Amino acid sequence: MPISSFYGMQTSLRGLMAQQRMLDTTGHNIANASTVGYSRQEATLAASQALQLQVSGSATSTGAHLGSGVDIEGFRRVRDQFLDLQYRGQNTSLNDWKAQAEALDSAELSLAEPGENGINAQLSKFWNAWSDVSKSPDSDAAKQALVQKANALTDSIQAVRSQMVDAQTTAQGQYDSIVGPGGEVSKIANELAGLNKTIAGFLRNGDAPNDLMDRRDLLLDQLSSFGQISVEQLSGGSQNVSFVDGTTGATYPIVADQAAAWAGPPVGDWNPSGTMGGLLAAAKTPGGTIDGYLATLDSFSRTLADTVNGAYGGSFFSYAPPAAGTIAVASAIQVAPGSVRSGSGASGSNDVALAVSQLRGNAGIDGVYKAFVAKVGGDLNNATRMQTNAQVLADSVENRRQSVQGVSMDEEMSNLVRFQRAYQASARAMSTMDEMLDVLINRTGRVGL
Amino acid sequence: MRVTTAMIQRNVLADLNGLNERLARTQSKASSGKEITRPSDDPFNTARAMGLRQSLEANDQYVRNIQDAQGWQQATETALDSITGYINRAHDLLIQGSTDTVDQTSRNAIAAEIDQIIQGVKESANATYGDKYLLSGTATSVAPYKIGADDAYQGDEGGLDPAIPGVVREIGPGVTMSINSVARELLGDGRAAPADGKLLNSLRDIADHLRANDGAALRGADIPALKSRLDTLLEIRARNGATTNRLESATARLAQIQEAVTTQLSETEDADIAKTMIQFNSQSAAYQASLRAGANIVQASLMDFLR
Repeated sequence: MPISSFYGMQTSLRGLMAQQRMLDTTGHNIANASTVGYSRQEATLAASQALQLQVSGSATSTGAHLGSGVDIEGFRRVRDQFLDLQYRGQNTSLNDWKAQAEALDSAELSLAEPGENGINAQLSKFWNAWSDVSKSPDSDAAKQALVQKANALTDSIQAVRSQMVDAQTTAQGQYDSIVGPGGEVSKIANELAGLNKTIAGFLRNGDAPNDLMDRRDLLLDQLSSFGQISVEQLSGGSQNVSFVDGTTGATYPIVADQAAAWAGPPVGDWNPSGTMGGLLAAAKTPGGTIDGYLATLDSFSRTLADTVNGAYGGSFFSYAPPAAGTIAVASAIQVAPGSVRSGSGASGSNDVALAVSQLRGNAGIDGVYKAFVAKVGGDLNNATRMQTNAQVLADSVENRRQSVQGVSMDEEMSNLVRFQRAYQASARAMSTMDEMLDVLINRTGRVGL
Repeated sequence: MRVTTAMIQRNVLADLNGLNERLARTQSKASSGKEITRPSDDPFNTARAMGLRQSLEANDQYVRNIQDAQGWQQATETALDSITGYINRAHDLLIQGSTDTVDQTSRNAIAAEIDQIIQGVKESANATYGDKYLLSGTATSVAPYKIGADDAYQGDEGGLDPAIPGVVREIGPGVTMSINSVARELLGDGRAAPADGKLLNSLRDIADHLRANDGAALRGADIPALKSRLDTLLEIRARNGATTNRLESATARLAQIQEAVTTQLSETEDADIAKTMIQFNSQSAAYQASLRAGANIVQASLMDFLR
């Protein structure tokens, strides 16, 4: 069976073209080395269909295959879906603690402890002022000073409460901006639905839209920072994505195949983990951490007011629910500080002032407040430590993921050299063919010329 | 393991961030001098430090209260001392006037001086500390005695009558003490019926007996009576002295507690500066080394060696 003289030219041409595509892919990788979520691509090569030859003169032979060069089979992205799953799990837990730590951080800041302006210092000054009144029970100056110190104390308590409420509101606002209509989840849901459609379309035609799939994986990474997600691969290359309640296992769809399906968070309590879970754990009412702080602060203020009023034998502090937000020196005393009762007897008697002053160090007041500060500090300390741990785990998974899918410049450089050389070699093979044909065409059959 | 460019960058950055964070914490420790700047740094020790701080504040207040009480005691002591002087003078005059060699004119003159002594004693009893009367019980805004013929005690019996709390100072956690003396215990109500046998009563009797030229009464009843008043006064002064002693020992105890608490507070929340500085230096060295290493690793690439 005759073989075309130009057969070798074709083989070299395939080689040239294949090496060119390899160089293109390398260029694409280098260009995207810093693109977030990019996974490196490589061209998959395969030897092209060989030419089958009939070999004569051999009894047993059925023929021979003459190689015909190389074909590009496709471009694949190098990515490990299992590492993606691991990363998303760690990312969810990291963002859970991160959100909690941030919310609790502002709650802790509002305490201003330890310091000169915290409630602890103000309490000391308040008790001291009562002790001063007990020294000068008939002195209006001492009573004036007492009322000022009492005002400073109630101001501090009110300020702490309102700042904690601010921290709670801010966290709630963040949560709403994630899950609400037009929020981040619904934006991502829309983009995912669009990507699902496009990707499915390409896959139907047999193309692998690597860069779109990278984009989709990046969006899933982002979703995983908001809450625990589950991804269900559909046969056409599309995906169902939903949030998973970590406690009940219930799912809340974000994207169903090619349509966005996010209808907002469920009514009532849920445990989505991630940023949403962290924000909820810190700021939800009722049951959030800050909500608990507010309750403690209210009960502390109530005890303070009731105990002082009890020892005072009248109304020194007044409050309405919520106690910590409304505690104040009773208005009758506020307008006439001289009317503070310091004793039950003559002008020099100070039994009332002493009774109040001796509340100092009371386990129900100072003790409760100290324990409260320790609890706030402990909660934040724990959240920060958990965040650090989660960060280490997430970093290590991300490292492994980058190890697989990341672009290594050195590797790309050596590939560049390799493919360039291969290209040169193919070109050399082609010029060899050319010389051979030159001999055949220009130098043969010239006998007698 | 395949190491990619992004990984190196991420790791270098994460390491630098970590070092930076630690440096910032050490720096804030060094500049504030405090181990604990926020409750979450060390929740347990924060609560402890808060308690210690409250003890410090409270003790400062107790020290101020004790100083006030000591001032009160000293003023009381001065007043009692001057009353003692009057009694001694009255005693001298009594001895002088009780001998029958003294005639009526002289006895009248002595009686006139005794009258002055009565007013002097009342003035001494009206001593004040600041704007408060020392010896009128808890009625500190009322002078215990009126100058003149009226010898009735004007104050109350706070501190003398165990049922009525007197002038009380808080000198320790839950510790209070009554610091006042009541003038009535010594001076009484003068000639009020029935006779109370107190100092003003006795002095008025002496003056009467002098004017009545009653040498026997002066010698018989008045001398021992006045002696017994002096004993009462000394008893009151001794009581006052005991209170002063108690205040002094309370001051000494508070000073010791204050020192111990200050030490504990410092151990709880103050940064060990030497340790902090050494930490700071080693961290800053690590940071610089890490910067240099990072810069070299990130820069180097195969590109530098390919032509």
